[in-house]
Amino acid sequence: MATTLRRLSRVLGWWLIICIASLPVWGILFGLWPDEDTSIADLSRLLAYQGLGLSLWQSMLSALFSSLLSLYLAFLIYSQYQSHSKVGGRWLEKYLSPLLSLPHLAIALGLVFLFSESGVFFVNGDIGLPRKGLSTFIMAIIIKEVPFFLLILIAVGRQLPLHGWLLQGRALGYDTSTSWWLLVFPNILKHMRLALLAASAYTLSVVDMNLLVGPNIPELFAVSVYRWQGSFSEGDQALGFWANLLLLVLLGVSIIFLYCHEKLVIKVLQHWAVLGRRIRLGFVDTLGRVWLPASGLLILLMVLVFTLWSLGFNWHSDTFSLRNLNTQLWQDEWLFVALPLQNALLIGVSAAILGILFTLLALELQRQKGRYLPDYIWLLGILLPQLSMVLGWQVSHIWLEGGYHSGWVVFAHLPFTFGYAYLVLKGPFQSIDANYELIAASFGYSPWQRWWKIRFRLLLPAILSAFAIAFAVSIAQYIPTLMIGAGRVTTITTEAVAIGTGSQQDVAALYILLQSLLPLAAFIMAALLSSRIAGPKHSTLGISRC
Amino acid sequence: MIFRRFSTKLTGLILLVSLSISTVMAEDLVVETLDEAGAKWQQTLKVAKGKSVYFYAWGGSKAVNEYLRWAKREIAKQYGVRLIHVKVTDPGEAVARLKAENGRTSAIDLTWVNGENFAYLKQHDHLLGNLWSSIPNVENLAIDTLPITVDFGESMDGYEVPWGIGQFNLIAEEAVFSNAQFSANDLLTIARNNPETVTYPRPPEFHGSTFLKQLLVNLTQGDGRLYIAATEVAQNDLLPKLWAYLDALHPYLWQQGKAFPTSSSEQLLLYQQKSLSMAVSFNPNQWIKEKTTKQIPDSSVRRSFSDGAITNSHNLAIPKFSPNPEAAKVVINFMLSELAQKRKFAGEWGDPSVLKSLLDSRSSLPAHPEPHSSWQLIIEDAWQQRYGG
Repeated sequence: MATTLRRLSRVLGWWLIICIASLPVWGILFGLWPDEDTSIADLSRLLAYQGLGLSLWQSMLSALFSSLLSLYLAFLIYSQYQSHSKVGGRWLEKYLSPLLSLPHLAIALGLVFLFSESGVFFVNGDIGLPRKGLSTFIMAIIIKEVPFFLLILIAVGRQLPLHGWLLQGRALGYDTSTSWWLLVFPNILKHMRLALLAASAYTLSVVDMNLLVGPNIPELFAVSVYRWQGSFSEGDQALGFWANLLLLVLLGVSIIFLYCHEKLVIKVLQHWAVLGRRIRLGFVDTLGRVWLPASGLLILLMVLVFTLWSLGFNWHSDTFSLRNLNTQLWQDEWLFVALPLQNALLIGVSAAILGILFTLLALELQRQKGRYLPDYIWLLGILLPQLSMVLGWQVSHIWLEGGYHSGWVVFAHLPFTFGYAYLVLKGPFQSIDANYELIAASFGYSPWQRWWKIRFRLLLPAILSAFAIAFAVSIAQYIPTLMIGAGRVTTITTEAVAIGTGSQQDVAALYILLQSLLPLAAFIMAALLSSRIAGPKHSTLGISRC
Repeated sequence: MIFRRFSTKLTGLILLVSLSISTVMAEDLVVETLDEAGAKWQQTLKVAKGKSVYFYAWGGSKAVNEYLRWAKREIAKQYGVRLIHVKVTDPGEAVARLKAENGRTSAIDLTWVNGENFAYLKQHDHLLGNLWSSIPNVENLAIDTLPITVDFGESMDGYEVPWGIGQFNLIAEEAVFSNAQFSANDLLTIARNNPETVTYPRPPEFHGSTFLKQLLVNLTQGDGRLYIAATEVAQNDLLPKLWAYLDALHPYLWQQGKAFPTSSSEQLLLYQQKSLSMAVSFNPNQWIKEKTTKQIPDSSVRRSFSDGAITNSHNLAIPKFSPNPEAAKVVINFMLSELAQKRKFAGEWGDPSVLKSLLDSRSSLPAHPEPHSSWQLIIEDAWQQRYGG
């Protein structure tokens, strides 16, 4: 009886997980289904589009370059903080919170305001960032992705015997930096694969940031896709269909590239290790040391700028003085933002918790099966083009006539929170030392007790990080919230994104700040809690209490 | 004399009597139809009471958002209808939803629309018809003076109701743009003398496309063929002038024409930050509103092309399967009331009225008709081919 029950629940679990993981495919199929008058002739029209080649090339370049560079930078920083600072990762995690909280678009906006032509710190044309250009776009992405990668590295690193590897390295006569790159990096790279895929898919398909700071002669490909798909003049929908397929091809190519990159780098590093090569980083080492303080300062400046804007300060006004600062706007808008903030909080918490539950279920089922399915299957929600996918959900949702309420919006956020939770948790989950559970089993713990008291407890710091990231991801969703909520469910982001398309700096800044508040709170809370729950090395594990 | 006076009096009397009889009869008729329409409208008001209207409208302008917050309060007070502004980033979002709904009960009750989006919705039968005959205040629209019965070449036919007027103009630095009107050649001179301070939103953004249309009109002295479907011959005759002009202009543009602002909003931001000497707008009163709210420098002025400003309307439409079409009609009727139209123009927004009674030459610019809609696509495609890659 018990075995039947267990088997039944396992089957049920698989079904549940398959349903969640296949939502993105469902969405894409329905959302991308071509209109009747779409033909091959439209494909040749797309291929003849002026500047398409350059546009595709720049899109791929920015996606791969920015995510790889962010990863290397993040690892460099991580290795230095782990080896040089006594407080190490714990302090680092708290420090990351504000860096992770500002939305992508806000970073881009702040960056051009501070450093582009006519910006506050603009020096001259050779040093300043172009107002619109690939370099500004890549820069903004990297500023945002480095803290993200760092957070994942911290979560992964907790479960790896880094200390032992570094000791072995020293015993073999390597200096610390060489040990990190030759011994730790190849191991960690595998666990970072999902984050790399997510970051490059994001860069490949992001639109808002691209519109603001990306080059536009030609535009990056995501912008063209977005424009065709959103236009209803003759022929544009057909172009949008083919362009989406091409975007899928680009995603495929970037996945293959990242897999190859991983294989190649591991091979080269192993070869170097065999040769006993030393790695000298020189000035790059300094870059790793100054990156975080510098970007911390930058974010601080941006927040200062946004705050001043929201208080009515105008840099470029001839008549403005600090005395004119006032809180009028905050008072006026407060009435209107309370509900969107509350909605966002509720949806974010629900979607993040559900995302984590399904992730744990998916990981546990795969562990029991003894085989992990390919990563990209679980990450489809993050990898596939969002607009088409959500369009498919919208069509199904309308068809179901289920009404418009927060429940549906939570459901529409789930594939994204699930994807990000999976991305954070997979590494730590796989790296948990199975011996702990073996020992517990020898003490007579049931499988369920072992899971709850050992595995879950060991995973808790990573779960907290996953929660914060999933929550922030849910807060940031504009398209699914609007398209499934149909305007019945407004969140701080639907308001902020709409106002962001205008030219009113003060309101836009106010909403950016409000939008950052919730993720900031989540990241700080996660960091504080996980530093209280000590990692495995120093933990009391809770076994003694039973 | 006496007789004549008498006879005149008599004729006068007879005339008066017959006149008054005929007026009475006519009034009877009018009263009857008015009664009928009035009763219908009373019915609409009754059904509308207590209903919600989900209004899909661009949420990027603080002025418009504030205006809609005011309208929401007024409509709730006067008619017991709840107006909810669904803030979208692009009107296309409403069109995409209507397309996805494909005949099912809509989540949209009212939408702010014009141009290609309206044409698509009308042609695919997504809109409720007969709005002009079922909304009382439509009667007060200034259809004789304003180009508000046709929307970018697509006849409205009662599927949408004009709400406000767009007139293409520049918000510019007075020291750079010294004359109230300018020609294409004036603009070239200005760009040459003030390099990197002139630009336009990247077509097919509609401000950018309109900028190109204004140039084409000016460079071809308003050639009559621009107002009918574009023929091959007309294209070959007229377009080269535009391309030759842009070839000359682009090197002097902001970023030497290697990047363009993505939207009029972004261009206005660049203007605020003093990177540019001009921004583009479809609201002929935006400059004065932005000045009073200190968003732009005091030295800002409004400038327009010497041929007149290309003028069009922005409109309200009800989806065919809106669950609350009566309430949506009540909202439209309110939006066309003198109270609402006056506030729209005189308040923060400054959007010109569409009512006969509120026409005001100071609020608007000399108008120029829209070229035929076929020209827009041709210009956009050719622009992309020549400059977009």
